[in-house]
Amino acid sequence: MIWEKNNKTSVVSEIDPRIKLIIAFLFSIFIAVSKSFPVLIAAFCIGVVLVSITKIALRDIIHSLIPVNLMILFLWIFLPFTFEGQPLFHAGPFTIIKEGVVHSAGMTIKSNAIMLVLITLVGSTSIITLGHALHELGISKKLVHLFFFTIRYINSIHREYLSMVNALKVRGFYPGNNIHTYKTMSYLIGMLLVRSFDKAQRVHSAMLCRGFNGNLYSLKEFSLNRTDVVSFLFMISLLFILGTFEWII
Amino acid sequence: MHISEGILSPALLAGGAVLTICGSAAGLKSIDYDEIPVMGILSAAFFVASLIHLPIGPVSAHLTLNGLIGLILGIRAFPVILVGLTLQVLLFQYGGITTIGINTLNIALPAVLCHYIFKKGASLNTGKIVFNLSVFSCGFFSIFFSAIMVGFSLSLTGRAFLPAAKIAVAAHLPVMFIEGGVTTACVLFLKKVRPELLE
Amino acid sequence: MDNIVIKLENICFSYPGSDPVLEKLDFSLARGNKIGLIGSNGSGKTTLFHIIMGLIKPSEGKIEILGDPAENESDFRKIRHKVGFLFQNSDDQLFCPTVLEDVAFGPLNQGKSNTEAKKIAEDTLEYLGLSGFEDRITYKLSGGEKRLVSLATVLSMNPEVLLLDEPTAGLDDKTKSTLIQILADLSLSCIIISHEFDFLKETTDKSYMLKDRTIFLDDDLHMHQHVHAHLQGTAPHRHT
Repeated sequence: MIWEKNNKTSVVSEIDPRIKLIIAFLFSIFIAVSKSFPVLIAAFCIGVVLVSITKIALRDIIHSLIPVNLMILFLWIFLPFTFEGQPLFHAGPFTIIKEGVVHSAGMTIKSNAIMLVLITLVGSTSIITLGHALHELGISKKLVHLFFFTIRYINSIHREYLSMVNALKVRGFYPGNNIHTYKTMSYLIGMLLVRSFDKAQRVHSAMLCRGFNGNLYSLKEFSLNRTDVVSFLFMISLLFILGTFEWII
Repeated sequence: MHISEGILSPALLAGGAVLTICGSAAGLKSIDYDEIPVMGILSAAFFVASLIHLPIGPVSAHLTLNGLIGLILGIRAFPVILVGLTLQVLLFQYGGITTIGINTLNIALPAVLCHYIFKKGASLNTGKIVFNLSVFSCGFFSIFFSAIMVGFSLSLTGRAFLPAAKIAVAAHLPVMFIEGGVTTACVLFLKKVRPELLE
Repeated sequence: MDNIVIKLENICFSYPGSDPVLEKLDFSLARGNKIGLIGSNGSGKTTLFHIIMGLIKPSEGKIEILGDPAENESDFRKIRHKVGFLFQNSDDQLFCPTVLEDVAFGPLNQGKSNTEAKKIAEDTLEYLGLSGFEDRITYKLSGGEKRLVSLATVLSMNPEVLLLDEPTAGLDDKTKSTLIQILADLSLSCIIISHEFDFLKETTDKSYMLKDRTIFLDDDLHMHQHVHAHLQGTAPHRHT
């Protein structure tokens, strides 16, 4: 099943999701733009602190960091050799360039720092709350409802997919590198689409029966309290301090 | 296919975000409120389908299916892919907040382009050969363009990224054929079973 | 005349390219009546409900609901505020992220304000013994919970007539008896499609049978015997 990560209750999970979204957004952009090592390291440390007060299990954190670091690893194979600049040392026919190593190291810290901020956000807020918060922050209503419908039906469609796969298995199907596999999987995808389309039509009928006339509603209301404001101001000032350092260095 | 956080230059990230906003706005404009349920459920189906892993040689790769999405949805593919990628970020941490714009652009733009190029050939009343060829090309070139755009994004970040970018594009070559084939078989299935979906 | 809530006259319907499902069907439901509808798979029971709700159009025939003729989409839009339809599959019915939003969806469509709709939704949930479900995520509910919440989404619109399409499908005995209790307490007119005679016996006054493309009253009691087998069946024993 595609479930989101379990959200543990912590200080961070109590903060208004709108504040969290804005902070995560600003921090991610700031880190993506900054270049100096001390600032990146500081940002990484902030990320570590945030993740640890969110009480997300270490296993989940590492799991979430795998995809980003695979891509970084891929780039590490090339960048130390392909940059132009001062040679650091020679390894056989290849020359390792200092600038390449520096850039790769910066990139590694940067991407992990951004991911830690993201993990803090998703580890402390349910996806549906995030959707509501996006709506409150002025994201297009159509887009938010598209988002809600997608989340709502991913699990039931995934269940259908799994039961179709089981039906294939009990009839002795095992995927391999052959036309038969590709054809079977294509039909399976086609069947998934047909069933989803039929389901969509039934859902739409059911909505019509309840008087649906094109209006979709969101009932969730958020209100800011003192903790929200304080944490917002704290994080923003942190961002300003980091920004000043970035500018000075 | 996802580019991770912290790699691309800020200018590129900003450009990608702006173009994705434009594309999604255009897509949303052509979706009525009435159609949101259907679009959402199809988008959920595509999300699930894109999690399917297929063996390719010794490794296995998951499908992107942007050709199929583009063929069925046209410009509406933009917001659907945006939602799909956002969910991948939130659920699995593939990509991230700052890269969502450029990643959506790299997958959705080829899908929409291929829709306009191949839709005519892939309409229900064309001959069998033209139909199959158009559908295959739609699946093939969607991935082809996506791979090129990913490569481009990397190489625009710095000249030093060029070799890595080339390898990334080359690695997608077998995937293009598979996606082309899967798209064709899938569309032929839909044509037989539920032709309304292709109209 | 005012006592008839649903009146169908001479209804014919066929899906494109197949044999007719319903032919010259006449049917009426009086106010306060609770009836069961039985019939084999594919006999057109769900189709009949869809026709009453205006989701599909019969090729022929007249429909009158709550005293007014129903011909076009705008007639049916009004009717859907007064006739509640519980779908066979609750997954089709519940589409909102949270339970409260789903139950409030109908009242909001009826033009209620956010606060009113919220209140109605909370009251309906409480009535059905579902207090505390407000913020639950709809797709994480169990099958039985989904069915009861679906019923809440229908009842929150305060309908005059209820159409229930196999409400017991996939329910365990406990949820089934909860449902029987709820339906017995409601004083609405309703039509219930079901294959379970015991359930219909508890919840309805009489049964109709959909057969040979039309509808029959099936109100004779039939004395009958069941032959059954179980272990130690030859030993003298009692059944209760």
